Amino acid sequence: MGLLDKLNTIAETRKTLLPPGVDPFNVVIDEIYSSTEASIGGRRVILAGTNNYLGLTFDRQCIDAARETLLIEGTGTTGSRMANGTFAGHRELERELAQFYGCSNAIVFSTGFVSNLGVISTLAGPGDVIVLDADSHASIYDACRMSGAEMIRFRHNNVADLDKKMQRLGSRAANTLIIVEGIYSMLGDCAPLADIAALKRRYGAWLLVDEAHSMGVLGERGRGMAEAAGVERDVDFIVGTFSKSLGAIGGYCVSNHPELDLVRYVSRSYVFTASPSPSTIASVRQALRVIQSRPELRTRLWENATRMYQGLEKLGYELGPDLSPVVAVRVPTREKTLFAWKELLDRGVYVNLVFPPAAPAGMSLLRCSISAAHTSEQVDRILQIFAEIQPLITAPEQA
Amino acid sequence: MTNSQYETIFQKVVVLLQEYAPQPGPIQDETELINDLGFDSLRVMEMLNDVEDVFDISYPLNSLSDLRTVKDFVTQIQVIIGDR
Repeated sequence: MGLLDKLNTIAETRKTLLPPGVDPFNVVIDEIYSSTEASIGGRRVILAGTNNYLGLTFDRQCIDAARETLLIEGTGTTGSRMANGTFAGHRELERELAQFYGCSNAIVFSTGFVSNLGVISTLAGPGDVIVLDADSHASIYDACRMSGAEMIRFRHNNVADLDKKMQRLGSRAANTLIIVEGIYSMLGDCAPLADIAALKRRYGAWLLVDEAHSMGVLGERGRGMAEAAGVERDVDFIVGTFSKSLGAIGGYCVSNHPELDLVRYVSRSYVFTASPSPSTIASVRQALRVIQSRPELRTRLWENATRMYQGLEKLGYELGPDLSPVVAVRVPTREKTLFAWKELLDRGVYVNLVFPPAAPAGMSLLRCSISAAHTSEQVDRILQIFAEIQPLITAPEQA
Repeated sequence: MTNSQYETIFQKVVVLLQEYAPQPGPIQDETELINDLGFDSLRVMEMLNDVEDVFDISYPLNSLSDLRTVKDFVTQIQVIIGDR
């Protein structure tokens, strides 16, 4: 097979899968009006697939903080954290993140993806074992591969299977890193973290939780699933992102293990990539203050998520197993999912179209994510449009 | 590791491959999972759950990069069982 032949195969798949003029994986937002509305293809749409859980991308204080820093510190750092890319703001944000989580150490990375790459591939190495949830994010899988550690998968959210995998490891279990997520990005289901933490304690293993979709969403103070499950002391490392509840881009890891600080000297994704721009850091610092000072945003988010989940459930849609701000609608076939996605967009709602392998267990999904910034009217409008398209996607396929 | 162990594992693997293969066909030692049986990575992952249950093993994902033929698969399982 020639070098580019692999890409030709992808081109063929794309041709058979997508009708002309429609590419749900290359959507362009022509104009963005707010954290919940934009123009796509000349049509004003409600955004219901942006992971903007608290709606902070348009928060006045976050924008002001970013603008002020942009004018003072310029557009970028043009360097890695290890060289010239650590400004006072980067260090302050690390201190504030550590304080927010009640941890001793924090590291800021350039994205959530590279946070996982940097932390996991540095913590674990050849001779170690990583036991990860089967539905883990691509960044976790890639990080595990990079680490050179032995990778063992347990069935998604299945504590009995995790127990079995740990038991088989025998004495090696004590040097094993268990990796799970707080809320899983595709189905919006929550990890049974209290049970997983109990297993971690029993085997004396290590536990890393990716809180990308749960930070700012779960827990009394918005610290995520570990806080909500009351097991923060059992979690050795928390990885998160700035690109969801915090409304910007970047990522982090926090821990009470002082060794975390050493990761910055050897993590390739920390050393060999440019650091987040100063204005991004400023907006994230402000967003972190908002999360702490305005818990009503979380209340509002859950009100909206409940309205959306229960509304779709009432319509008879098959949804992800848990109520959360990620509301995944399962559609029987790829063709119908694509058709439904396009209908939603044409009628004024943008959601994410997800096909396997991004979606688990061969599912095709219309993945919605709800925001605290959605109004009740917007949620009702989304539900109304889902109701309108329902007969179209439940109709038998024409021969 | 003996030939009879190999044969026992082979027979069980054949049953699983026949169940999961997108393009079922005759299965021998040199049959390739991707080229002959139409497996893709997703389908292999689905099958691995059953493989782990049937043989009571944990299959390291690192081994997937060395997995091409049925013989590779059976030998990998044999080694994992032997390491236990």
